[in-house]
Amino acid sequence: MATITATLNVSSSDLSSSSLSLSKTMTMTKAGTATGLEFSSGLVRRKLTSTTAIDLVTVGEQMYGTPTASGANKLYIKNTGSSSTDYVDVAIGDSSGDPAPAEELLATGGASFITIGSLYGGDWMIIPFEGTANNDIVVTPSTAETTTVEWMLFFE
Amino acid sequence: MATTTNSLTLTSTDLFDDSLSISNTSTCYKAGTTIGLDQTTGLTRTYVTATTQFDPFPVVKGATNAAENGKVYIANLSEEITEFITVGIGDAVIGKLYAGDFLWMPWSPKLQHVNDIEITPSVATGMHIEFMAIHNYANIYPDSADS
Repeated sequence: MATITATLNVSSSDLSSSSLSLSKTMTMTKAGTATGLEFSSGLVRRKLTSTTAIDLVTVGEQMYGTPTASGANKLYIKNTGSSSTDYVDVAIGDSSGDPAPAEELLATGGASFITIGSLYGGDWMIIPFEGTANNDIVVTPSTAETTTVEWMLFFE
Repeated sequence: MATTTNSLTLTSTDLFDDSLSISNTSTCYKAGTTIGLDQTTGLTRTYVTATTQFDPFPVVKGATNAAENGKVYIANLSEEITEFITVGIGDAVIGKLYAGDFLWMPWSPKLQHVNDIEITPSVATGMHIEFMAIHNYANIYPDSADS
């Protein structure tokens, strides 16, 4: 087992009339245990050059292993750019298939996905990763100019 | 406008042969701008005692938030390692947050029921949960209720 920690800090002195200072640390453990997650995809760096939706992180067997579905897996994604106007939409579902994906629907198979939100330049996210069928992480750049996205999956 | 910063540090000394250290800091801006997000739901701490699914940030019926993009924080404060919450969006499952776990992600709420965030506790014996949105949405909680 490994000890992997993630610490989130959120702060603002003017979002509301009282200061906001949130700090939270988690140790990534396997589902329902105190045993640390022990596998990782490594830090993956992708350059995207079209506005086509792609499956960034797919479920099932991968070259780095097979994440346990419905476990306590964690996924980190970052848009490494610096633009305040260009972004990548992040969604859950499956971008493959014909016809083109029907956004904001989630079919039992094939092309459909539901948008979570947008990562602008410098933005990042950390979420649990369910890893069950048709639950790929789909990204869609807003521009055909190069957008670089980094991601890393921690899994059991 | 407000200035809200968020940072993440990911570390491990034994996941790999070499140490892992990732550190990021960013500012919460309105979509497509460098203007800070200026609304928040506040940090909500709630004690849930049912396994019924609920929406922490209900989208107003019939309203849209299509061009907006905020940030969402959700944490499971339970200390019982087997207890979890399942977090979903619309019909999709994002994943499970076990005791002590959190998430931080962007969120672009659209129509009600389309990509609402959903939380489902694993037990009815009581569990503390925290959540907060930092946003510029016109049409979410506390204006209305969802189903």
